[in-house]
Amino acid sequence: MKTPDTPPMVTTYSMWNQFRNCRKAAELRYLQHLVPLERDRHLHFGSLIHECLELWHGQRDLARVLDLIDRRCTARAQDEDQKRDWHLATAMMRAYAERYAEEEFEVFALEQVFEGPIVNPATGAASRSFRLAGKVDGIVRTGEEYFILEHKTASQIDSDYLERLWTDFQITLYAHYVEQTLGIPITGILYNVLVKARLQQSRGETEEEFEARRADLLAKSKTGRTTARRREPESDQDFQRRLAEKYADPAMFHRERLYLSREQFDILRAELWELTQAFLDARRRGVFYQNTSFCFNYQRPCPYFALCRSNGNPNVIENFYQRAEPNEELRVLPAGSSEPAF
Amino acid sequence: MPILPTTKTPPKPSLSDLTVLWYGQTKIGKSQTCAQADGAVFLATEPGLNALEVFQVPILSWEDLLAACAEIGEGKHPFKTVIVDTVDNAYKFCTEYILRKYKVEHESDLAYGKGYAIVNNEFQRVLTKLAFLPYGLYLISHAKEIEVETRTGKYTRIVPTLPEKARKIVLGMVDMVLYCDLDVSAGADGEQIIRRVIRTKPSLYYEAGDRTGRLPETIDLDYRKFLEAFQAAAGAPARPQAGPKQAK
Repeated sequence: MKTPDTPPMVTTYSMWNQFRNCRKAAELRYLQHLVPLERDRHLHFGSLIHECLELWHGQRDLARVLDLIDRRCTARAQDEDQKRDWHLATAMMRAYAERYAEEEFEVFALEQVFEGPIVNPATGAASRSFRLAGKVDGIVRTGEEYFILEHKTASQIDSDYLERLWTDFQITLYAHYVEQTLGIPITGILYNVLVKARLQQSRGETEEEFEARRADLLAKSKTGRTTARRREPESDQDFQRRLAEKYADPAMFHRERLYLSREQFDILRAELWELTQAFLDARRRGVFYQNTSFCFNYQRPCPYFALCRSNGNPNVIENFYQRAEPNEELRVLPAGSSEPAF
Repeated sequence: MPILPTTKTPPKPSLSDLTVLWYGQTKIGKSQTCAQADGAVFLATEPGLNALEVFQVPILSWEDLLAACAEIGEGKHPFKTVIVDTVDNAYKFCTEYILRKYKVEHESDLAYGKGYAIVNNEFQRVLTKLAFLPYGLYLISHAKEIEVETRTGKYTRIVPTLPEKARKIVLGMVDMVLYCDLDVSAGADGEQIIRRVIRTKPSLYYEAGDRTGRLPETIDLDYRKFLEAFQAAAGAPARPQAGPKQAK
């Protein structure tokens, strides 16, 4: 319960987006502070590339970027997922450094954090319950114009993907707050999209698999002979070479510049204010209902699906979740930095 | 003197109202312990009860299990605790039943992961129905080690041998998750003392839990002692479960 002395709750776009999609999930994450015990593997690659890009745009030193990838994937000799991430990130960043050896913009800030009030658009009064904080990947300057730099990794870039950038509520909102809190006039967003190659390193075939394939070929052969040889596993060098060829394709990187209108800011401010009122109402009444349409968004279960299905069984909370402070994304550490040893 | 109560009585759930998952390494004594439950009947999905004198129904297929459950549901019997030994094999039978029903060789033969979902739904349907019957339900599983990658690093965790999704279903419906383990300590003369125990509270290194909040953290693997601990606490207010681990 909020008292007059309670400081406003610092919120992020992620919280409001989750609240909009499923109130129950927002309550579990932002009021109960629950997160799944197991780390989501899908997020590892995106985080790694963001860190690489921050380092690259800050220092433009490819050797340091590659060293960072090596350090983030130290278990790649035993861990297949890490090995896959290492190969992809190495090839992607090598090609990126070559492709954008010269930039048309000047980096003004990287990993810029902001925090500001959430304002009632009707009265201009700031919310006493919430503030909004966030972090942008970068702010860049082209001539006299400033753009928010937003990195994205994508499986493919098609017309739907590019059209969807216009509906990016988060970045438009961030642009507004960067203007308001840092006093930097933002002209638009520069989306920096990197495509994830779908190539897989060939594992080769086992003796049994080879024998089975050879037997098949012999059965079909009119001469009763075959020149088939056992396929050897693809070496790291060969796979890197294949990835490099793939990343030589200009379509693997894309820059899209979107210009923002002031009307967009007004719509977003009004929507954000509405969300704050709905959240206050839900918190006051203690009712955060599930949106079951979002249980399998992105073709995989929501991180809280097991908990909702068990009707909040504490055994599920204790064995599959842990408590972690919200808004972890606001934590600022320079790219490539390691945790202190002591 | 007023006869109306001035305070609420604490809930006193009977063990025969609860659903409990027992798991641990092979031959540690899970079945032997459960066999001492009040009015126990085993739905024996795997051999291994030969050394015990128990009431048992041999279960060789999911249809066998459904038939046994239906008879239990009718209530014309003296049993009070139903023990599925093991729930791992019950899940395998459930999978085979669905594969036969849909005429496929593997769950993945049904498009878009539908096979896995159908198996899990059928498994959950039957266990939920069984749990709603007015009998205790004990599910027995073996233990395995898995590598878990968390935000703070990787570590090895001991979990029931059920497949991941089935494990989440079972853990979500049970009142207690009891891990049967060996506890090694040093005696007064420095000699190793090994005893078989039940661990009732969760840890980073194994799955366990007690939503009644009545059990101590460790109990000897002995049904009498388990019952004593549960009943001793039944008169006392329930201890809240310890909160989940804090992320570093």
